[in-house]
Amino acid sequence: MNAIEMRGITKIYPGVRALDNVSFSVEQGEIHSLLGENGAGKSTLMNVLYGMTTPDAGEILVDGKPVTIRRSAQAIALGIGMVHQHFMLTPVMTITENVIVGCEPVHGPFLDRKKATESVQALIDKFHFHLNASARVQALSVGEQQRVEILKALYRGANVLILDEPTAVLTPQEVGELFSVLRELKAAGKSIIIITHKLRETAEIADRVSVLRAGVMVDQGLSAAGCSASDLALMMVGRKVDLSYTRRSKSVGETAYQVQNLNLTVKGVPILRDVALEVHKGEILGIAGIEGNGQSELIEVLTGLRKPDSMELVKDGLPLSGKTAAFLSAGVGHIPEDRLVRGMIGPMTIEDNIILGYHRKKEFSRHGIRRKNEIRAFSEKQLTDYQIKAPNVQEKCGSLSGGNQQKVVVARVFSEDPDVLIAAQPTRGVDVGAQELIHSRLLDLRDAGKAVLLISADLDEVRRLSDRIAVIYEGQIVAQGSYDTWNEMELGLLMAGEKAEKEARP
Amino acid sequence: MEFFLAYLVPILTSTVYMATPLIFASIGGAFSVRGGVMALGLESMMMCGAFCAVLGSYYTSSWAFGLLCGILGGMLIALFHAILSVRYRMNQVISGIGLNLLATAATTLLMQVIWKNKGTSELVVSIDKTIGGPIPILSGQSFNFFVMVAVAVLSWIVLFRTRYGLRLRMVGEQPKAASAVGLKVHGLKYSGVLICGALAGYGGAFLSLDQLNMFVRGMTAGRGYIAVAIAILGRYNPGHIVPFALLFGFCDALQIYLQGQGVSAQLIQMLPYLMTLIVLAVGVKHIQPPAGVGKHETD
Repeated sequence: MNAIEMRGITKIYPGVRALDNVSFSVEQGEIHSLLGENGAGKSTLMNVLYGMTTPDAGEILVDGKPVTIRRSAQAIALGIGMVHQHFMLTPVMTITENVIVGCEPVHGPFLDRKKATESVQALIDKFHFHLNASARVQALSVGEQQRVEILKALYRGANVLILDEPTAVLTPQEVGELFSVLRELKAAGKSIIIITHKLRETAEIADRVSVLRAGVMVDQGLSAAGCSASDLALMMVGRKVDLSYTRRSKSVGETAYQVQNLNLTVKGVPILRDVALEVHKGEILGIAGIEGNGQSELIEVLTGLRKPDSMELVKDGLPLSGKTAAFLSAGVGHIPEDRLVRGMIGPMTIEDNIILGYHRKKEFSRHGIRRKNEIRAFSEKQLTDYQIKAPNVQEKCGSLSGGNQQKVVVARVFSEDPDVLIAAQPTRGVDVGAQELIHSRLLDLRDAGKAVLLISADLDEVRRLSDRIAVIYEGQIVAQGSYDTWNEMELGLLMAGEKAEKEARP
Repeated sequence: MEFFLAYLVPILTSTVYMATPLIFASIGGAFSVRGGVMALGLESMMMCGAFCAVLGSYYTSSWAFGLLCGILGGMLIALFHAILSVRYRMNQVISGIGLNLLATAATTLLMQVIWKNKGTSELVVSIDKTIGGPIPILSGQSFNFFVMVAVAVLSWIVLFRTRYGLRLRMVGEQPKAASAVGLKVHGLKYSGVLICGALAGYGGAFLSLDQLNMFVRGMTAGRGYIAVAIAILGRYNPGHIVPFALLFGFCDALQIYLQGQGVSAQLIQMLPYLMTLIVLAVGVKHIQPPAGVGKHETD
């Protein structure tokens, strides 16, 4: 019997059919991947199931019985739990407090704190979550916080667990830990729905797959083992996507960006140690490494956002120093690693975001007054060039999907035609279509003779695009070589701190 | 010993006496902020409480009924604040300050209407202050001293040891999370603000019925703002609020004592406010309010 069955779900927002007669079912004890690009309606469908969105039509059956779910509380009572992409935890409270709130054990008018802690700890031990129920959430890593979210659902007796983009915020290690937790839950008979756009993870963890595209269920309940990544990509995007497409540099020129003797200490902890890198014209240098090994700080230093203890930085033969503005005007472009923090301003319009930082340029302002028509024309052109899906350029950037937001950032950086581009996590959290576009633009820029430094947590991305790869581990460049020096396993070991055994070829 | 009896005991007694309304109001503020609603309107809740208390006492000649009216008066303003900031999602700073201005103006107007005097009300019955007998600190205090102690202890228990407290704090920290686990976010926020109004109203009533026995125009004289500061410094925790309130009470007591010694009144009256400024400047850097203050469950 199906644990969950959704029939003919339709949800219409003004101007958009977010869900069009969608049917979807999940069996007891399976891991089901709900696949689709950003904005395909995956989250809307799951919000319907979790009572956070009211559908315009359709019915839901839980364990074969028709139910009405209008509020989260009803979904919880039916044994449906959801782990949101952005965690809903209170950092200053303990794990126990976060887990029990809403159905607390009480002793007369008082909280039964002892019983609460015991039952939460029992649950933690049962599923091998390796947490201390009395610890405060603020002391936990992102992966551990996610487990607390899962605990919240389990504590409420969830049989069906919905995880919204669970791996988006995790490091590769944490993804591994999450998957073993999910397998444990599956073995305990729980049904798990994973909302994702990542094909690889679908193949790794899911038993069955359903694919949504633009609010329509393309195919549902396929066996994951029987689908190739390219089949799924085709279904998701609706056209053929070549995920392995790449081309290597034909002509590497002279050094464009050279950093030497870079040291950075933050609060007494050495973060970057004797980093020396060289990016040549017409070359993509990829930095591979597990997140938290100094990449973020390296990006900040190389874009002028952070002042290192020591550094010799040379761009096209001239020393470069100063603040971000100096770097920008020297032709160092920057795709920030977190678009929401440094890439864009959510409440501002697309056209404002697309000229952000360049608004003083002659094209966009005259005597300090905005040149409205020029800005409009420019941003409309970018909208078309980068296939940014938005009703118009007056739309708030914050209301776009992640992929389209990233395209706005990329469009802005590329329109300036930088000599050197620091591309940090350029495709994090974006869908396959946008990923393909951003990748091909990066290669185009490289082929135009520019220097690109690519920092990404996605090893596939680094290996596919880079002409040379440098591995960073605990703030040091531990290996550097041509893209084909190491295979994936060897790179993985280097990233984990193993010594390089092969001699790197230049 | 003589020095002790002659100077310290009266000052300490006065300290507690002056701190009592601050404790009521700032603990009220803690409930409001813990529920995620800023408590800048404390001044207006105290003012309205003080006024309504005198009004109730004036018409019934019963201070007990006056106190009740004071509580209700504070809650009335709190209800306004809650409707504006929870239901209509108005900016909580503007709502709070707006209500403060309203309270000053409205009480002045009503005094003119009722007592034909814009400055002071008529005298009402006073509260018995002899129950402490000759015991140091307690002498000269009314039963309100014990109410204050009870409120301080109970409010800590409610906030940190009951289900209601956990839920209120969760709403204040993360309204979305609270809503996602099925809590009634609006109801909890209203309750926090209304408790705030009741306590601040009581604090106001203490000013007008216990410390005096009449209402004077603008009689809260910024105590609501000081209470806001105390609530922040006490990290919205009654256990920490009480000592800070006593510190401010001490400044007030010292000011009264020094005035009696012939030191320039204008200079000395600055003391509590100066204290607020210094303590805020030094202390507030490290204090994080609940993360969900001013946020809504659908943001």
